[in-house]
Amino acid sequence: MPFLQRQSLSQFVLICGSLLLVGPAFADSDEPREWLHRMGAAVQSTSYEGTVIRIRGSEAEALKVVHQVADGVIREKVVSQEGSGLEIIRNGNEVHCILPDRKSVLVEQWDDQSTLFSTLPSSQIRFGNEYDVSIVREERVAGRQTKLLAIRPHDSYRYGYRIWLDTETGFPLQTELIGKDGAAIEQVMFAEISLNKEIQASSLASSYSTENYRWFNQSAHHVTRSVDSDWVCEDMPRGFKVIATHEEKMPGGEAFVTHILYSDGLANVSVFIAQLGEGSAQGPSSVSGSNSFSAIVGDHHVTAVGEVPAITVEQIATSMRPR
Amino acid sequence: MNDAIRMQISAFVDGELPDNEADLLLRRMGQDAELRHKVAEYLAIGRALRDEISVPGVDRIHERVAAAIDDKPFTETVEIAGTPSTKSIRPLAGAAIAATVALVAIFGLQQTMSVDETDPAMANQAVVEIDSGYTVPRPMDDQLRQYYLSHGATATENGANGINSRFVTLRLSEDAIEQSAEDEDSSPAVEADGKPVQR
Repeated sequence: MPFLQRQSLSQFVLICGSLLLVGPAFADSDEPREWLHRMGAAVQSTSYEGTVIRIRGSEAEALKVVHQVADGVIREKVVSQEGSGLEIIRNGNEVHCILPDRKSVLVEQWDDQSTLFSTLPSSQIRFGNEYDVSIVREERVAGRQTKLLAIRPHDSYRYGYRIWLDTETGFPLQTELIGKDGAAIEQVMFAEISLNKEIQASSLASSYSTENYRWFNQSAHHVTRSVDSDWVCEDMPRGFKVIATHEEKMPGGEAFVTHILYSDGLANVSVFIAQLGEGSAQGPSSVSGSNSFSAIVGDHHVTAVGEVPAITVEQIATSMRPR
Repeated sequence: MNDAIRMQISAFVDGELPDNEADLLLRRMGQDAELRHKVAEYLAIGRALRDEISVPGVDRIHERVAAAIDDKPFTETVEIAGTPSTKSIRPLAGAAIAATVALVAIFGLQQTMSVDETDPAMANQAVVEIDSGYTVPRPMDDQLRQYYLSHGATATENGANGINSRFVTLRLSEDAIEQSAEDEDSSPAVEADGKPVQR
């Protein structure tokens, strides 16, 4: 684990410890960063069961969720209530994505910090000067009293967020990804939830018998090696800084691709730089709120990917240059 | 844009434009960003008024495209129009010209609508992008999928904890398993004991 991560983790543990000592006082606090810290702790330690609604544009989907944290081990079951009936079973770091209509299971490895409904930003996020953070008002969500925390960007190169935090526990009951016009691009909210209830083992088991299913392993780890990159972004939106640089070999590929991760403290953008090959596609693409843009720069194929507006990845990808 | 075109668009959106006129309109939409933008506006207004997702004019195009590609359900090829896979686009190469034109028109339309719904200020820019340089956005090929997944993993390792990136990973995983299952249809690789098979 890199030094910086260790440091952040220790700070995080320190904050959690502090919260245990002063927890009750937080319910009355309107200091947004204290609520962010409290949310980070709640997301890591809270067991819950409920129904989540995710809305994006005209699409909506409902997910039944059971999430248990016991002895530091996360167990989780997520069942899509629409379409294919996708079911995700997590036991520690091993995740099975079950597609009953295809009679298939995809096995993935998730790291300790990743949970499906861990939300942003955790106490490890370092805010720069690109956002304002404030507690706006109190509202009720899923039958519980919440504080609405707003994160507003100063320009159109990044998204904003609204997060409704359970007043009692700090758990995020609703989140919204906000575009430049102030409208929600995507909403994720609990329609109903039980916090810190005892979870039965049977609630975490798959609903399907997967004995005769086809199983697939997602290539979990890309081969990586640390490097110093000669590439710079000549027109980087303000506030984004290099967080990590390495080369990695993608599954199925032989050549190494340079991967530079930029962050403004909240939004992250990855830039992938590969040797130009046949069929190197160009242009924009998007998945949910994540956008990408691919461009050809000299004899390289440059792709920027991130949870930022399309204009941001396009500007970054097209202004990458070798030193 | 004159009143006749506006009335034509309105009739098209309501599914009341005769097929021959709809064909002409679709051909023009494939080449005219302003027209696409205007139709997108009408569609958005219609949806808002009717509080519905389905739009008669578009539904009719869907049906015609489906018929033109040997009755394949339209959703198989266009439901991921924002990120079409190479595989889903390829069968359309030999389809009837009317279907192809319609598909291009819808594709541009969905692109325009998608941008309109999230960020009106960027609508014009998106239309320009479609017309200059890229006729379609980059397909979601294996390389791009790996980039998205690697970005999600690396951002998480470095302290990001975004719910959105997890959903992106989830959706891409679902796509991957669908793809893997399809690839395996011709040569099943199931072990007798049902244990995972390393790919």
